[in-house]
Amino acid sequence: MSTEVTSMAAPLVVPSYLEQAPEVAARFSRLKQRPVILEVRDLSKSFTSPGRPPTVALDRISFQAHRRELVCVIGPSGCGKSTLARLVAGLEEPSGGEMLLDGKPIRGPGSDRGMVFQSYTLFPWLTVLKNVMFGLEVGGQMSHAEAESEARTWLEMVGLTKFATAYPHQLSGGMKQRAAIARALANRPRMLLMDEPFGALDAQTRCQMQSYLLQIWRQVDITILFITHDLDEAVYLADRILILDAHPGRLRELMEVAVPRPRSADQFLSPAFVAARHHLEELIHPRANQAADKLPAFRMTVVGDEVE
Amino acid sequence: MRGSWTRPLAGLSPRASARFWAASFLGPLGLWCAVSYLPFLWHPMMRVTDPGDSAWMTTGELVDRAAFATENAEVAGRHGRIAAGRPANPVFLPAPHEVARALVTGFTTPPARPEEPWLHQALWHSIQVIFWGFLLSSLVGVPLGILCGALPAMGRLTEPFIEFFRYLPAPAFGALAVAVLGIEDAPKVSIIFIGTFFQQVLIVANTTRRIDPALLEAAETLGASRRALVTKVVLPGIITDVYTDMRVLLGWAWTYLIVAELIGVSSGITYFINQQGKYRAYDRVFASIILIGLIGLLTDLVLASLGRQLFPWMKTAKEGWFSRTIAKVRGRGRGRPDAPVVPGSETAEEAARA
Ligand SMILES: Nc1ncnc2c1ncn2[C@@H]1O[C@H](COP(=O)(O)OP(=O)(O)OP(=O)(O)O)[C@@H](O)[C@H]1O
Ligand SMILES: [Mg+2]
Repeated sequence: MSTEVTSMAAPLVVPSYLEQAPEVAARFSRLKQRPVILEVRDLSKSFTSPGRPPTVALDRISFQAHRRELVCVIGPSGCGKSTLARLVAGLEEPSGGEMLLDGKPIRGPGSDRGMVFQSYTLFPWLTVLKNVMFGLEVGGQMSHAEAESEARTWLEMVGLTKFATAYPHQLSGGMKQRAAIARALANRPRMLLMDEPFGALDAQTRCQMQSYLLQIWRQVDITILFITHDLDEAVYLADRILILDAHPGRLRELMEVAVPRPRSADQFLSPAFVAARHHLEELIHPRANQAADKLPAFRMTVVGDEVE
Repeated sequence: MRGSWTRPLAGLSPRASARFWAASFLGPLGLWCAVSYLPFLWHPMMRVTDPGDSAWMTTGELVDRAAFATENAEVAGRHGRIAAGRPANPVFLPAPHEVARALVTGFTTPPARPEEPWLHQALWHSIQVIFWGFLLSSLVGVPLGILCGALPAMGRLTEPFIEFFRYLPAPAFGALAVAVLGIEDAPKVSIIFIGTFFQQVLIVANTTRRIDPALLEAAETLGASRRALVTKVVLPGIITDVYTDMRVLLGWAWTYLIVAELIGVSSGITYFINQQGKYRAYDRVFASIILIGLIGLLTDLVLASLGRQLFPWMKTAKEGWFSRTIAKVRGRGRGRPDAPVVPGSETAEEAARA
């Protein structure tokens, strides 16, 4: 109640999302000094299936990600976010354009790009520890003992030490995704691609996972491409946000998030956060489009039995 | 509380599960008892206890009911002493107690002629034929099936022909098998092989194709080579399903046994059953058939129990005789990693987020 009264008395002034505090601006200029890890140039992807016109999932996307940057990709459903992550992972072939990792063209999947999927992809037949060891063992550079101690370190980092000998079906959804993050990071990839990894989790667990991710990211030399459709998640996590348009998937804007780091849940109401979120909202759900959200009206209840 | 077993796909408590298991055997057994021991159910024959003045009936003979009545009416017309008898079932339906007796005496009664096998010899012979046929088929069929499922080119190259070949009835190859492999056990094993192999390849290939492609993609992003994808993802990913397939296929192998054993020199349990049929010892025929069923059922139970212990990552996984033996052999105190961790403590910690 009281918050409502104050907000009515002094309406929140939303600053421009472009406005950056001096320390934020300084951080961005430092970030842009860092070497480019991922360079995407004119990347296009269309899917052809027999008997249907080809779907253009991505249309000439270009952007760069610098070392240890956290880039979020956001956009309406079907705009090609997953396709972008899968292209960078090498799981799909682009129809046009090129992708460079550390200046070298990406061809096919490899251990230099880890991926965490929305669906749980831990190997059900391996314990959590063995799952994390998987990449180290197929890589073949490590002895079993080395791989095990390395994997234990990563389990500790994601807080799953106690569950080293558990099987995936004994874990909660959040724990599975933490194990998946540990498994991807244990390979020491240059990039971590995350396709809506927390999409299936409840709001509270998701919040906690976001905080875990930021903590891990701070301690590891890793560049993250994080796909999401959750605006708060994007603003909370990202240095920069890649906003995509749907049909065809085009790059709408590459937005710098002016919220200072380190981030915390307290910042959700800070002016910079609200401004960034407001801007995303305008881009993704423009007011003019809200009329289109109306369903045709059929009354299935008696008059006078209204709920609103 | 109402039982939840009417809900589709509801879980059964172990007790209920055991009860239904028992009921599935007690039901048919009860029906058999009823038909055998309730004189007013079926019983289309009469067992003659006293032939009276009948011209042709003898004591102990089984006579059709209608014929019995006609004969008695005729005898009564001659003012003769009518025959007495009690309702009975045909000779081919022995009562449960007779079959039970045959089950016990079957192993102790020597064969009617010296060249015939004892019951246990016949059974052992059959088990060996099945074993070799199924083993040889699996040694080739399972790897080939996995290859066909994993590599589309291989599948396309192999499966259409196998699809055609599996429609050719295995027994049709009997004459050929004898010509090529002689008259002893080899042609019999080959019929089991032909009957199992082609189905096996197709079924295992299909099972292989059902693996979650996301697991393969995850492995690829972890740097797995193509070879590692097969050995470290596809194989462990499908092994539990292939194991189940094998249990089903083993059952099918038994159905081919009967034709297989008629080929060349008739042998095994089929020969035993046929001989007993010739002697009209139907209680022994039934006993042998039931024995085959029991062996099949027991094998499957053992394999199921083994499966629960071999694959500790399954939700149904259990400790048991096999894992304990393995643990003993390894000289360790445990058969599987100390897995059952209760996720409760951690989730509580998760709930209290920063
Ligand atoms: N394998 C495929 N074959 C054909 N079309 C595809 C395929 N994968 C994706 N598409 C199409 O490409 C477009 C982008 O799909 P994509 O999965 O990348 O969207 P997304 O942004 O991840 O959506 P969401 O937010 O719902 O996950 C969609 O129109 C989809 O229909
Ligand atoms: Mg998606």
